[in-house]
Order: sequence, then C-alpha cells, then structure tokens
Amino acid sequence: MLRPFTLHRPTSADEACALLAGLGDDAAVYAGGTELLLLMKLGLLRPRHLVDVKRIPGFGDIVDGPRLAIGAAVTHRAVEQSPLVRARCALVGAVARHVANVRVRNVGTVGGNLAFADPHSDLATLFLTLDTAVELVSPRGRREMPLDEFVRGPWETARAADELLASVRLAPWPSRSYAAYVKFGVHERPTLAVAVVLALDGTATHGGDRIRDARIAVGCVDPRPVRIGAAEAALTGASIGDVEAAARAAGDAAAERVDPADDLYGSADYKRDMVAVFVRRALRIAAARARGVEPTERFPHAVVA
Amino acid sequence: MKIRLVVNGRPRELDVEAHSLLLDVLRDGLDLKGAKRSCDTQVCGACTVLVDGLAVSACTYLAVEADERAVLTVEGLADGESLHPLQRAFVEAGAVQCGFCTSGMLLTARAMLAENARPSRGEVLHYLRGSLCRCTGYRKIVDAVLAAAANGPAAGNGQ
Amino acid sequence: MSARPLRVVGRPVPRVDALEKVTGRARYVTDLTMPGMVHAKVLRSPYAHARVTRVDVTRARALPGVVAALAGADVTWCDPYYGPAYRDRPVLALDVARYEGEPVAAVAAVDEATAEAALELIDVDYEPLTAVMTLEEALAPGAPLVHAGQPPAGHFADLSTLRPKPGTNVCHQFHFARGNTANALAGADVVVEDAYRFPPVQHVALEAHAVLAAWDESGALTLWASTQNPYSVRVELAKMFDVPLSRIRVVVPHLGGGFGSKTYAKLEPLAAILAHTAGRPVRLAASIPEAFQTVRRCASRVAVRVGFRRDGSLVAVECDASYDVGAYADIGPRVVQKGTYTATGPYRVPHVTLDSCAVYTNTTPGGAFRGFGVPQLAWALESLFDVAAARLDRDPVDLRRQNFLAHGEEFAPGDTPIDGKLEESLGRAAEAIGWTQARAADRGRGVAAMLKASVAPSVSEAIVRLHADGSVTVLASAVEMGQGTRTVLAQIAAEVLCVPLDHVTVVQPDTAVTPYDQTTSSSRSTAMTGRAVQAAAEDVREQLLAAAAQSLGLAVRELELADGAVVGPSRRLTYAETLALKFGMSGGELIGRGVIAPGRTAAPLGGSTPFWEMAVGAAEVTVDEETGAVRVERYVSVADVGRAINPLTLEGQDEGGVVQGLGHTLLEEMLYADGHLLNGTLLVYRVPRADDTPAELECRFVENADGSGPFGSKGAGEGSLIPVSPAVANAVTRLTGVRLRELPLTPERVWRALRSRSPQRPDSR
Repeated sequence: MLRPFTLHRPTSADEACALLAGLGDDAAVYAGGTELLLLMKLGLLRPRHLVDVKRIPGFGDIVDGPRLAIGAAVTHRAVEQSPLVRARCALVGAVARHVANVRVRNVGTVGGNLAFADPHSDLATLFLTLDTAVELVSPRGRREMPLDEFVRGPWETARAADELLASVRLAPWPSRSYAAYVKFGVHERPTLAVAVVLALDGTATHGGDRIRDARIAVGCVDPRPVRIGAAEAALTGASIGDVEAAARAAGDAAAERVDPADDLYGSADYKRDMVAVFVRRALRIAAARARGVEPTERFPHAVVA
Repeated sequence: MKIRLVVNGRPRELDVEAHSLLLDVLRDGLDLKGAKRSCDTQVCGACTVLVDGLAVSACTYLAVEADERAVLTVEGLADGESLHPLQRAFVEAGAVQCGFCTSGMLLTARAMLAENARPSRGEVLHYLRGSLCRCTGYRKIVDAVLAAAANGPAAGNGQ
Repeated sequence: MSARPLRVVGRPVPRVDALEKVTGRARYVTDLTMPGMVHAKVLRSPYAHARVTRVDVTRARALPGVVAALAGADVTWCDPYYGPAYRDRPVLALDVARYEGEPVAAVAAVDEATAEAALELIDVDYEPLTAVMTLEEALAPGAPLVHAGQPPAGHFADLSTLRPKPGTNVCHQFHFARGNTANALAGADVVVEDAYRFPPVQHVALEAHAVLAAWDESGALTLWASTQNPYSVRVELAKMFDVPLSRIRVVVPHLGGGFGSKTYAKLEPLAAILAHTAGRPVRLAASIPEAFQTVRRCASRVAVRVGFRRDGSLVAVECDASYDVGAYADIGPRVVQKGTYTATGPYRVPHVTLDSCAVYTNTTPGGAFRGFGVPQLAWALESLFDVAAARLDRDPVDLRRQNFLAHGEEFAPGDTPIDGKLEESLGRAAEAIGWTQARAADRGRGVAAMLKASVAPSVSEAIVRLHADGSVTVLASAVEMGQGTRTVLAQIAAEVLCVPLDHVTVVQPDTAVTPYDQTTSSSRSTAMTGRAVQAAAEDVREQLLAAAAQSLGLAVRELELADGAVVGPSRRLTYAETLALKFGMSGGELIGRGVIAPGRTAAPLGGSTPFWEMAVGAAEVTVDEETGAVRVERYVSVADVGRAINPLTLEGQDEGGVVQGLGHTLLEEMLYADGHLLNGTLLVYRVPRADDTPAELECRFVENADGSGPFGSKGAGEGSLIPVSPAVANAVTRLTGVRLRELPLTPERVWRALRSRSPQRPDSR
C-alpha cells in the first residue's frame, strides 16, 4: 500500500528538471518503480511527488554510435532483447537477462538501477569494464560523467536533486574481446559479481593470442564496484595461454583489493575468498571463449553470462 | 485519474488514484481475486498478472501504468468453460496444492510460452525461478508447463 | 467389507478443488468481504524485551475512519490470555513486551491506508530490558526471566501435566527412561557423542495468517480463519470470552499453505476483540514479515550419546535436548515431548535416557512445524548414526537395517506396535539411489531414516449425507491446506458408497456444520478423519442396505452396493429409488455418523499412536569445495504409507516435503543480532526456488495395507521432510570427510568446515 502522491508525467527533459528543481526533496524520479515503489511501501521513502520519466523523448531508446547509448527508461528486458546490444556488446544483454526475476526485468530500468546505486547491482559491475559514462541533464544543461564518479557509494550518486539521468553510454569493447560475467550468491541480491574482459591485440604468440587490455571489475562486495588494477596490469601483454597460470594471482590481487564487511550476504573473510575464486573462474571462462570454446561448467548458486 | 484498459478481453474505464496499485484495483475494484498478495516485495510472484503480455508484479505496479494496455489475469486464461492448456496440464499433473502460487505460475508460464513455444527444462526454470511455491517442490509445476508446451502450439496463443 | 478391487481409492485422480484453484475462483480469507467490513493493523514491539509503560491510542482513535483502537489495558471485558499449552500469551502486550514483533496495540479502520496512518498516531513508551536471545543466554544461571510466574495450563489433556522449572526459563521438561544407560554405555564397545543445532526457521506459507471476525446482535461470534484447527480456535475463544462453544462459529475456506504455522489460535483472538469493540466485521491479515513475528519452528540444541556393541547392535541412547520455544509457549511443550519421544529413531535400543526441555527466549514464539520436534532430533541421531558406522567400519545402510525395529515390535510399553516394514523402505531407497553401485568421484551419497508418532489421544468425527438423488455430502473438519485432504475424503466416501467421485461434495470446515476434528496436523487426516468419514459412509451403507432389503423383501446379506445402486440376486434399486421407497416421497436423506476416538491408553504420551510414520531418505550430492556450495543432485524419499489413497497428491506432497526440508538443510535460518531479526522478509530469507529442486527427485511409497486408516492406510507428509538434513549431511561427509553439526549447510558454513579439515585425518567419514 502506498501513501498518496501526485504523479507528474513531463514530456520533455526540461519540464522534468523544472519539476525536480521546484519540488526538491518532496519529489522522486520514477521510471519502472521496482526499487522506488518498494522503498515507498516500506515507508523508507515518502515522496509526495513522483516525476515519471518514461514519456521523455529518447529516454526509452537505445541508440548506436561510437558509444552505445541506453536511455534511462529502457527496461532490462529491452536490453536483453535488443539486436543492437547483441551486435555491439552481447554480454550486456546476457547480463540483463539475469537481473532479479522476469517481472522485475519487464518493468525495471537500467537507468533506475544505476541511479539507485544499490551496492548489489549486476549492471554497475559490468558497466565498469565498458568505460561507461552517464549523461545527466538539468536546468544548467547537459553533462557527462564516468560511471565510477557517478556512483559514490551505497545508494549515493553524484546526481543533483534537479538533475536527471538521461542515458547510459557504453564504449563497447573492440572486436576480438572475450568476456565473462559471473555472479554468486544465495539470496535475491548477489554476494558478489565479477566481470572480466580480455581484449586481444591480434598478435599470435607461442602461448596463444596476446592480451592487449584486460579489465576486471568486482561488485557487490564493496560499497561501489571496483576495478582490480593490479591484476589487469599483470595480464596486459600476457598471452591467452598464460591466463590459466595467472588466474590465481589475479584472484588473489582482487581479494586484496576489496574490503568486504560482514553482513547477511556473507562474512568478510568468506567474501574475500569468493572474490578470488570467482575472478579466477571468470578469467578461465573468458580465456576459453578466446580459444573458441564455450565452457559448460556451471557452479551452484552462480550465474554465468 | 481515469484509466482505460482491457482486462481479460473486456474494455474497462476506471477511476483510480495515482498511488493505486494494480493488484488492489484488480482484486477490490474489479473483484478479480485470483492474483494474490503474499510477499508484497516482487519476490514471490503470487501477484503476477500480464500487462500487454509481459509478467509484472501487480503488488508493485501502479494501476495508471495499465492505461491503454491489456491486462490478463488468471480469470482470463480459460476460454469460457474451456480450460487453457496450461490449466489443464496443471490439473492433470497434480501441480496444484494450496493454490496460492498457482495463478502467478500459470500466467508466467503463459507469457513464457508466447515467447518460446518449445522451452527446454532449463528455460522453464529461468522463468519460474522468480515464482515461489512452498507446497509442491516445483517438480510437477515444471512438468506441467513442459507438458502443455509439448501438447500444442495453442499454449501461448491469445493476448 | 467385501474384497472387491478398489475403484477410486488408490487412483491418482485429479484433486477435487483443482478446477477452482487453476481458474482463480478458490476463496481464501483475504478474498472474502462482508458488508461493513473494516481493516485491522497491528502495532508491534520494536524491542525483544521491554517494559511497556504507556500506550496511548487517543490520537489514533480520533483519526477519521478509525472505528477501534486498542491497547492491552483496554481489553478488560474478557480474558486476554490464550495458548494451547500455557495460557501465557496476551492478545496485546500488557506491562511487558517479550519479543520483537509482539502486538502492543491494534486499530481497525475503514481502509488499510487509514489503519496504517492510525498506527503512526499511537504513542508507546518502552523501557528496554535485557533480552535472552539464545538457548545459552536463556539457560544461564541468573538469566532474566521471560515470564515471571507460571501461567495457567491450556486446553489439552496431555499437557495438563506441564512441568516447568520454577525460577528459570524452562517451561516444560520431559523425561523418559528404560534400562540403565550409564551401565550400558560403560560396557559398550563403541560410544559416540556429539551435539547438533537446528536453526529457527519460518514456514513461509505464501498466504500469511488472516482472519475475518464478526459478532452478531445476539452475541454470537463467527470467524473465517486461515487455521488448521478450527475447533482448537473455537475452544480458545470460548474460554476467553466466556461464551458457550455453541455460540462461536469458525469457518475455514482454502488455506494458502499451513505447515503447522496455522495451528492453534494466532490472530483470531485479536481479530475477535477488535470486531467486538468496533461493532463491525474486522479483517486482520498479516504480512509475510508479520508471519515471521507470529510463529516459527522451535530451534534446538540436541546432545546425543549412543553406544554400540562391536557386532553393530545399538545398546544405549542418551539424549539431552533443549528446544527454544520463543517468548510464548504455543504448542512448544508438546513439540518437545513429541520430538524427544522418538529420539531413539526407528531402532531397537534396550537402554534409553531422554531428557528434554522447552525454553523461553525473547524471540518469535516457536510452535508446530511439519515434523513437530522430530526433524531436530533426527538431525542429531541420524548424523551420529553415520559417525558410529564409520567407527564400527560398517556400511551405514547395513547398520541401520540391523537395528531397525521389526514389524509388530513394541516401541514403548502401552503404545502401538510398529506397523510398517522399515527395512523395505530402506531397501528401496538404497536401491533407488544406487547405494551399492559405483558413484562418480565427485558425488557422495547419504541416507537417513525416521520414525514419528501421531498425536494421541485424538478425536475425529464425520457425517456423511446421502441425498435423494444419490449424491453425497461429506461433513468433516479436516482443513484443506494443499495436502489434498478434501480429495482423499471424497475418494473414501465414493469408494464405500460406490458412487462416482464427482457425485461427492466435501464442504469446507465450519464448526456450525462439520463435526469435531481435533486438528489438521500430525499427518493424521487420512488415517483419523478418513476413518471417521469411512465409518460414516459405512453407516449410510448399512442404512441403504436395510432400506433396500425392506423394500425388496430380501435379507441384507443378499445385497451389495454397486454403481450407485443396491443390487440383489435379480433386483436392483438405485439409491434414489431406495430413498424414494423408504421415505414414500422424492425427498429425505440418509445421515451417517462416524466417530473415531481411541481414547487414552497407558502409552507414555497418554494415547497410543494411530499409526507410526516411517520413512527413509537418500541423497546424492556434489560439493563445490572452493565455495562450499552443496547441490543435491538426486534425492529419493520412500515412505511407508500402508495405502496411498491418492498416489498423485501424495507424491506431490512428499516432493514438497523434500524441497521444504532442503530449505532448512541448505538455505534457511532466522538470523538475530542485538535483539533484532535481520532477515524476516523474502528479500533476505531464502526459501527454495524452482532451480533448487534436485534434478532427480523420486518419492516412492511402500504399501502393505498394514495401517489402521481406511483401506490399510497410514499417515504421510512429514516423513519426506524429516530425513532430508541428515541424509544430505551424511552425503557431504562421505564425500568430503567433514561433519557439520549446525544447519543450514550454507556455502559459507561448509567452506569454513572444509578449511578446518585436517588433510591427514578427516574430521570423520
């Protein structure tokens, strides 16, 4: 049951921002409502005004370009089904397929997910490997900001009160990139998520193709998703054949980088160890894919995309 | 706020509040009690209805979002006295016990079959893992969905 | 009864309520409305233990749309206490709140939004007190007491001899002994002992508790309640309001699950009191988080010591079990008795010492939950049995078989002899899991067995009415909560009266209409309520035969029933014709009555169990040793049911029991910290989902028609759940060498155990 509110349905970004500016703390941005309405039902948020962004032109679109722009009101389902996403960055669609459950995917939006900055967001973790930027609009104009600056901490973003998240812009990986995403956990929200990408440079070596750029992101464990720079550096210049041997060190580096806390999703020491385990596993999967093999091994309580 | 929608094939015009939830409008406004309130947090699926063919948690879905849309509840699955193949399969397979999850399971399966008429067991589980049941252990529910899919293309037809 | 082949009993017929459930027409309490109905909401204590010094509902009462607002102090016109064992639970907290979530005030208003808003206008002053949140804290010397005095006893005969330990949080003790365990253990060749913990878990019926209560002008009360025992609710309310039983009517529509959570009064007293104050029908419906604050399973710490001879025979069992029953006793004392009574499991053991106690803590009250104290015990004994098997260098299946009680053997003096063949269940389970076959290197197998008594003494009565057209109505108060009892009762009546199943209607339980049935729990409905229905149907049959004999001028022994007719050597009368001749008109009906009331006996728990529930579970697991995640790849349950009245519904029930058992085995526990329940919502309380079901799941039945229920049936539904945790844990041990003693076997718990496993000497096999 919800307390009463006024629903505003602006048909332009300017109108929406003006509403937010005028209503201040009394207003909340509303798209799918899967997070917002839940918090309102629990009484944790009590906005008296909802500003619906679903009628703003462009907010529901996925637009190609040097970056792939996903409008803030695009649902997880639309991302999952989008031929454009599949063509430019298939893993994004594959991860969208596993967000929450089918009902949340049908209604919940990518923008809403990122703007809420739930520390357990699958997408935020993956997007960290995609040089993702968010596009924000406000009465002061338009600005872009890297995702890892936008997400400041649990449920905290750099969005100003009168600002709207308009789209999420991904830099798809170059061709000859092989990636894997694994999330692990028993509960509705995962205990951890790992995204790895290995971009090859086209040079064949004795050990296989050479890695030009490696990206490893770990999410849900720390207040914000993080990149594991030390492991990435170690893999850069290595060959695909070396990944197996390097995976353990990469996992250990990741475990060292994160700073988990004890909570319902696991004890700190357990989470730390699981980060190492799943970074290793994700790297092995990505390396196998680089060799043209789709691994079939699956792990209990883990989703592999 | 006035909304115009089609519910189980019937056009309706309703006066709702902005904060009205679709589940309450269906259950109390239209006396369609098949969708149930259980966890109230989008986890269990007992409140599932289809909006333009897509499964939603009616407990956390504003009624106004159904404006200009077609809503399907469990009461709209059968064709008159003729059960939908999924309903028939659930009955025959013994996939119903207390019945509280049944409406949500049926509608979720219906939505899935409209997208994928011949799902594998894994694909059925992918859809149904978001719908909880405490009685059956799920085995007969999954078997029923697969049986309905195997028995005919009609399973996903309709709205 | 003639030995003709059965027509409808034993057939996997679709359930009689399937159609209404798949079309959304089945009605549950929150689907019901009444003119003038108002909605209730409850304000609950945020503290685990606190003095309640002030509750002011004035502002709430004044809110437009509020028709009643009550604090504990306002309930002066009736006895505010209820409870089946102890009447220790006030409808609304009086001077002290004893658990987080305890109702402190309640309102009724024209709609839910107003009721919610009214709650926010209630002012309550609390003085937090030290809380005891665990067994250890509650049992520590000098621990704060959850209850200061001893509350009066409740309404059950077997619990009129409650044995609390004054000055402590122990509200009941149970002791049973035979032989001399001290000597026997001293002389045993192998003694193993350990302690096992079972967590608090919640039933998570998808329909949380709900009641619609309405008084009429004459002072009679009607409730539509989501309850498993309307008669128990009725007697509770009659006592509270000092009203004759005949003036209280409890009607039960469909339940959206029960599993024990809806036994004995829960929200019904509060709803009735609000309705009385409001002067209007009141609907009180709990949310899922409120269900977590209403009832749960009794958690436990069970220490067991077992002694064996070198030849594998079990000589002694000592058991010391503490059950955490939460802030109010509910049916906890009987859970403790029941669980402990079969602490020795399905085995022959000459020397036994069993001690158990029910302990109050400042947490959600613990009550009945499928298994009723036995899962907690079986978790301990069946785990330890495997430890002993390893020490004796014996195969665990073989060691169990050696020690099983035999068909017809005595379990305890005065109680029913064992009425099934345990070794048959074990043999079939072992074969189905491939026990003696080579297994993949990454898989482990484990087994466990169970034995449980059903509540005794107990009473079930039924009425069967044969109408003028030959159709039948069955009146019985067994509650349909998904287990299929309505269908089973219909099949029994249809079988006895030789009518098609769809000519039989089983009405919903209604204490004004359907006669007394003690409870829908304890796996008893087929065996006990079913027998009452069978007896009532046989009564109708006798009347039919007598009426037909009279009309035909034949002897009763020349007649029999077939296909809705009374058939003689050369004559045949349909039931309609028989009745028309008897009554001289087209009208009237035959009414049959069945009463099953075996009464008290010399058995240790006061009555002889109507049947023994016995079952075996076998699991095959894999363990991801890097994460600790256990996956049950195959599970086999074999239950000795005598006769499966409906194999389809029974199989479904047992599949559900196995998966629910996997819940507390691998996933579920209520977690508390600083006096607060951390995970009382489905976002963070993890019940099994569709992809948790084992890829291979078989539920089988041993049917030797050796039960006292209709057609040789016994009870079922709990036997599939009870062996799950030890079978799975035994499999994990046989695969990894680690022995876990605490549930659930979450990935983290298993991971931690694997890490402390010494590489040379495994923890145990």
